[in-house]
Amino acid sequence: MSVSTAPRFVRADGPDKVTGSGRYTADLTLTGALVAKFKYAGISHGRIARLDTSAAKAMPGVFAVLTQDDVPDVRFGPFVQDRTLFARDVVRFEGEVVAAVAAVDAATAQRAVDAIVVEYELLPVVNDVEAALTPDAPLVHPEWASYGAADALVRDRNDASFASIAKGDVQRGLAEAHTVVRSRYVADGCHAAPIEPRAVVAQWEGNKVTIWSSTQVPFDARSGVCETLELPNNRVRIIVPHLGGGFGGKCGFHYEAHVAALARATKRPVRLVFNRREEFVAPDRRREGIVYEFETGVAADGTITARRAKLLIDNGAYTADAGFFSQIAAMHALGPYRIPNARADAHLVYTNHQPSGSVRAPTAPQTCWALESHTDEVARAIGMDPVEFRRLNAVDTGGEGPSGQTYGEIGVQQCIAEATTGAGYGQPLPDDEAIGVAIGWWPSFSVPSGAYVKLDGDGSGQIITGAQECGTGAVMTLRQLAADELGMDAEAFELVYQDTSVAPYDMGATGSQTLFNNGRAVVAAAGQIAEQLRNLAAEQLEASPADIVLAEGRAHVAGTPDRGIAIAELAGIAAGGELLIGHGSGMPPGPPPLVGSSCVGDLGMAAWVAPQFSCHAVRVKLDRDTGVVRVLHVSAAHDSGTIINPVGAQGQVEGAVLMGIGQALTEGTTYDEQGRQRNAALLEYKLQTCADAPPIDIHFVQIDTPDAGPRGAKGLAEAPNVATAAAISNALAQLVGAPVRQLPMTAERVWDAMNQEAQP
Amino acid sequence: MSFTIARTVEDALAAMATGARPIAGGTDLVVGARHGKAPLPSALVAIDRLRELKSCERTADGVSIGALFTHHDIETHPLLTTVYAGLADGSALVGSPATRHVGTIGGNIMNASPAMDTGAPLAVMGAEVELRSLRGSRRVPIEQLWTGPGRTCAEPDELCVAVHIPAPGERANSAYLRLEYRRAMEIAVVGAAAFVALAEDGTIAALRVGLTAVSPTIFTGDLLGQVGRSVADAAAVAAELSSQQATPISDVRASDRYRRHTVGVMARRAVEAAARRAAGETIDIPVNRAIGIGAAS
Repeated sequence: MSVSTAPRFVRADGPDKVTGSGRYTADLTLTGALVAKFKYAGISHGRIARLDTSAAKAMPGVFAVLTQDDVPDVRFGPFVQDRTLFARDVVRFEGEVVAAVAAVDAATAQRAVDAIVVEYELLPVVNDVEAALTPDAPLVHPEWASYGAADALVRDRNDASFASIAKGDVQRGLAEAHTVVRSRYVADGCHAAPIEPRAVVAQWEGNKVTIWSSTQVPFDARSGVCETLELPNNRVRIIVPHLGGGFGGKCGFHYEAHVAALARATKRPVRLVFNRREEFVAPDRRREGIVYEFETGVAADGTITARRAKLLIDNGAYTADAGFFSQIAAMHALGPYRIPNARADAHLVYTNHQPSGSVRAPTAPQTCWALESHTDEVARAIGMDPVEFRRLNAVDTGGEGPSGQTYGEIGVQQCIAEATTGAGYGQPLPDDEAIGVAIGWWPSFSVPSGAYVKLDGDGSGQIITGAQECGTGAVMTLRQLAADELGMDAEAFELVYQDTSVAPYDMGATGSQTLFNNGRAVVAAAGQIAEQLRNLAAEQLEASPADIVLAEGRAHVAGTPDRGIAIAELAGIAAGGELLIGHGSGMPPGPPPLVGSSCVGDLGMAAWVAPQFSCHAVRVKLDRDTGVVRVLHVSAAHDSGTIINPVGAQGQVEGAVLMGIGQALTEGTTYDEQGRQRNAALLEYKLQTCADAPPIDIHFVQIDTPDAGPRGAKGLAEAPNVATAAAISNALAQLVGAPVRQLPMTAERVWDAMNQEAQP
Repeated sequence: MSFTIARTVEDALAAMATGARPIAGGTDLVVGARHGKAPLPSALVAIDRLRELKSCERTADGVSIGALFTHHDIETHPLLTTVYAGLADGSALVGSPATRHVGTIGGNIMNASPAMDTGAPLAVMGAEVELRSLRGSRRVPIEQLWTGPGRTCAEPDELCVAVHIPAPGERANSAYLRLEYRRAMEIAVVGAAAFVALAEDGTIAALRVGLTAVSPTIFTGDLLGQVGRSVADAAAVAAELSSQQATPISDVRASDRYRRHTVGVMARRAVEAAARRAAGETIDIPVNRAIGIGAAS
């Protein structure tokens, strides 16, 4: 399907956002609200020798100063319970919250923060993942063994989560290879950098608290508050006003409990609004830096005989949702290839950096960059065209992937064909331009989810969903699904989201899962109303319910469109009798079987439901005098199943590609010798701008996918962020004559590579 | 804190005589205060309504640009974009369209950042800054104005009211390029401006080069030894001398080594572009997009 001819509809939150009538969390004002500010560690590792808040507490206008002593002594974390709300005894990264102030205004709050006295006994800073795993490395968490943790995690000292995926006999596969290629790559950490810095507002009424938060995952936020403040779910209500972008950066539980605790202590509403520096430094949501080593053996005909990969992933100081990163990174290090003998070992390594957490396709863009750069090295080592090498070795329908999963109908080969054709791969180019190609993959996440749908007496509908819209358009698309189920117009439905006390559970705007799972829920809920409408219409039209067709806002008898009644009229009848209310969830599809592989540290990330595939072909231009790279054109082909909302899908691909260009060339966090960020500001952390955006051609390969979401849809929000940096790397390597082995491939690093300066 | 709105230049000078700092677009002062670089001064005088400082006029020996002329005014002005093209190259690279519509040439000059985009082109064109106070008026060659990062020789009560640029003369023009990692909201990693006058035979008659972000203030030099040589030779020498004489720092944007190399590249390209313009060729503003970094294919 060509995107331009697909049906278009206006997203429900669009006019609000464009005209400025929409309200974001920081826009909320509540009578008597106080301003919250945090005291941060400012150092990367130290034992708290003295913490004195008395001067701050005594200041006029200061209503509360809280530390870990003022909240329940609970260790929390989704995979490893290794952290507390406020620092307890030891601080482990610069953005760790030591104390929180609520005061009458921002200036007073800041003065109070400055008046808090903290003295530290400095501890050695763990600033490097390789050093962290040496036997005599200082431990970030000396008491790691006593922490609660998910049963499947394999932990050892600074290694917070080890995962291994193994199949066949790698030693033999390498020994039998015609050529073996070894490579090392280093990816720096980077950031989601949503335009809206986060905000939290909390207000207590009696023993219940309402928290407005700019979160992508309101139910996770609720769990965090309930766990750390020891409250039952039904007394904590999380509401999300419009969200100003997330990109994963607002996943997880963050500061909702801190603000709720301040509000409880002061008996006033309290509001926290981050500035840009805080947004960079404090949350446990940085995209993880990773060090890679690859070894791939190929036969003389170009088929892969074996691959070994080792990954050291920077966990940072605490294990947020990164527990699963080692296994999913291991999958990406093996890649969407047929490899008879494979082994990937991935370690999630504690350091004194800001903690890592899910940012758009966690671990995938940088691992795809490293693996696909290595793949081009392999192809060139045997004199084979890199695209031909991928056609030969990529997984295909009915084939077996590196974790022992046999795939149903998948579109990776079509993606390669579409992307390379769209890019004009093989055409003659000026000598400062080249086209690079990379393939990527990403799972769909099959999880529980719920929604209600109701039709009121006037025939207008509401979808009350637990899903969270973070800008992807997935929640917006729910209207289309409900409308189609009921033969109505999408515009007839309003969306009610996000309020954890109103709607059923959903995992949130994370893992590209909204349409896949909440779409299933909405279809099920709307289906219940459709059945009610058919029964009502059957009575009115004196026909059998099975013969009633719902279409174009009417219910009519099949074969005789004139014999019908408006759905609005049926809704009016229902309003005087049994109300039109549907609820839905649906059973999420289970994981596919793995055969012949063994997984250590298995968190279910090696068996992928409805996997998505992609191929990006990118034309770049290199300024050889300076190393500055400009992306001239991107051709992106995606198998994400059926595309239900083409305009939204196009926006997802365009945004993800631009984010991928930034990750490739300009976006990287650098640390000083003490593990503190050197470029925690938008001037020095270089996001791409609209002026940098190249033309992006998008090709959707839509095939019938087993176990997909509604109408065969898979996810889409993360997949287009996976292969861009890799494709840019492969174009650059042709121009430079060697890969640029560190991400981001900044102009200076490219120039160094051209001049054969030391690479990592 | 006091905030005065000046209706006349004299209003502004009177306020400055009592310690007020002038504010026009606020793109340095306000942004700097928000980022904690320097607190807002306790007394401000708004000069943004002073019409007489918004002019741009031909004079007997060149052009006078009012201090409140914005970067947008400059990048779209028929005379400045042709005869004084290097300045337009610089203004067209500042920030974003929003910044360029409020940011003024006077503010840019007096902010005295070593990374400013209009400084090097003004310097190579031999511009002078007019400073006025209740005590009188004086003209200062622009290179003498800057005494360090963020520092000028202006007294606290002196207001920059205009910048005067001598006409380049026949077969002469300028160009400015910078190294940038993205095409908007960027700051020069390094930059270079060149003023080139050509003899009738196409050889160099005069050559000045100015460098951005490689020393505490804009660095300029006359390449007298290049007179009579070909443009290509002069450009190569300019590149070499620029790399040699720059004293760049290492920071999060670039290493000193890389800056030293790339400022030479910028200088060479600036000389080449200025020479092409001097020979009558039109190169679009900004020259960065037309032939340099980030040029489309």
